[in-house]
Amino acid sequence: MREGGDWPDHLDSIVTEFSECFDSMERYELLFQYANSHPSPLPQEDWNEENQVHGCQSRAHIECSLDEKGGFILSGGADAQIVQGLMAITSIAVNGMQPKEVGKMEPHFADAMGIRSALTPSRANGFLNMFNRVRDEAIKMEAN
Amino acid sequence: MQTTLDLDSIRAEFPILGRMLPNGKQLVYFDNAATSQKPMCVIEAMSRYYKEYNSNAHRANHTLADEATTALEGARNSISRFFGTSPKQMIYTSGATEAINLVAYGWARANLSKDEVVVLTEMEHHADIVPWQELSKEKGIEVRYVPIDLHSFTLDMDAFEIAVQGASLVCVVHTSNVLGIRNPIERIVELSHASGARVLVDCAQGAPHELINFDSSKIDFAAISAHKMGGPTGIGCLLAKLDAMGQMRPFLTGGSMIKKVSTEGSTFQEGHAMFETGTPRIAEAIGWGEAVEWLDQFDMSEIHSHVNSLASLAAERMGEIEGITVFGDPTRNDSSGAVSFLHDSIQSQDLSLLLDEGGFAVRTGHHCAQPLMDAMGVPSTNRASFWIYNTPEEVHSFTRHLYEVVSRFS
Repeated sequence: MREGGDWPDHLDSIVTEFSECFDSMERYELLFQYANSHPSPLPQEDWNEENQVHGCQSRAHIECSLDEKGGFILSGGADAQIVQGLMAITSIAVNGMQPKEVGKMEPHFADAMGIRSALTPSRANGFLNMFNRVRDEAIKMEAN
Repeated sequence: MQTTLDLDSIRAEFPILGRMLPNGKQLVYFDNAATSQKPMCVIEAMSRYYKEYNSNAHRANHTLADEATTALEGARNSISRFFGTSPKQMIYTSGATEAINLVAYGWARANLSKDEVVVLTEMEHHADIVPWQELSKEKGIEVRYVPIDLHSFTLDMDAFEIAVQGASLVCVVHTSNVLGIRNPIERIVELSHASGARVLVDCAQGAPHELINFDSSKIDFAAISAHKMGGPTGIGCLLAKLDAMGQMRPFLTGGSMIKKVSTEGSTFQEGHAMFETGTPRIAEAIGWGEAVEWLDQFDMSEIHSHVNSLASLAAERMGEIEGITVFGDPTRNDSSGAVSFLHDSIQSQDLSLLLDEGGFAVRTGHHCAQPLMDAMGVPSTNRASFWIYNTPEEVHSFTRHLYEVVSRFS
């Protein structure tokens, strides 16, 4: 993890990949590609009220668990590809990390990637709602 | 159809329309059904109040207080005249939502008993559904919903004629914020009054596009919002017939609305003053008054024709793009400038963000009309909505960008 707890080092290459895109439309195309290669997707049949991340404009569902080594696992799915893509990158970031480290993360990597819409303070922001819930779950796991 | 409105001159009065967005794109504002932009005269009137005569109204005798009170009541005169009624029948509220709540908790709570019927429609905004659901829990009133015709996306008037039988109150949206459809208000008022029901019309979307004459419409209550018609946010009004206002009880109480307060109890002011408690929204009222004076220079039917032609053009062009569905018929003469649409593979939130990348501000979501979304069988739509300053060139530019997005992302 970088000093200050922003994002883990292994996200650097992804952040660079996005920041080198020609324009925002190319960045969104790349994000759609990540959406289709989520490392730990949550199948749609497992989407339910309990794991729903509430946001006005899109449906997003996440489940947080620990692997056999105590590493954090984020499974997720969203109907919006932009949220799903950011969710996939968040999973790449946090999977395998200790919950304590996940609890300290900030969502600044989305900003560094040039996805400025990800960080608007709207109540309807699916990514931010999802990220905050991941962090809360990690803090709860650490407390337990 | 060529508009007779001088769009260049009109646009020059809205400095925000010249704004470049952080990504270098020119703003094209198509979210007018959410809130309209404000002409300079409104911004300057509000600024002048704060710079020159900021003071509380209806309280003190000093010069500034006199000026603030005169401006507040002058705005009431302008606004009520614009809506074809007397200032005595106008109660300032925070917006259309509070105006509807005022009917629910000021009139219906005092006048309706268990099992009396309130008729709503599936087209209503949540602001005209939730207060009635809450009042139903409290008072045991029956709430009936009139469905829409899923073929035409208009109100099912046969169902309305049945629902209104025995009703005490009918609450109906003038113009749908999702579909842009104007409801047959005149017929609804006629049928409702014949059944002995009062009528509340949510005019939040209708007022920016159509001259609403409250007195001649025979509507009992009209809820109006300033910020969709060039005025500021945070202000609106309830227009109420005097006999209906006389049946209301205040649901917000405190300063200003009282005649006398003692430890034994309180007596209240009469008329609209009974329902305006606390410090009024003075700057906002002044801004709204300025907005209606500004709108008054135009023929409202010309504004309606203009936004209707933009909606028709947008709907026709969008219909040519593969995968796009336009809901309802924005080309109808009584349609009012809102075009709801979806793409069959690009999710609505994604689509709105991709449109924003081109500089196009459109709304996405359920538009606070989830029962209508349920009836339409979709969770959300994208919506482009137009007003007086939008141009056909903007519509062409929008549909070109939409075509590019669909080509790249579907």
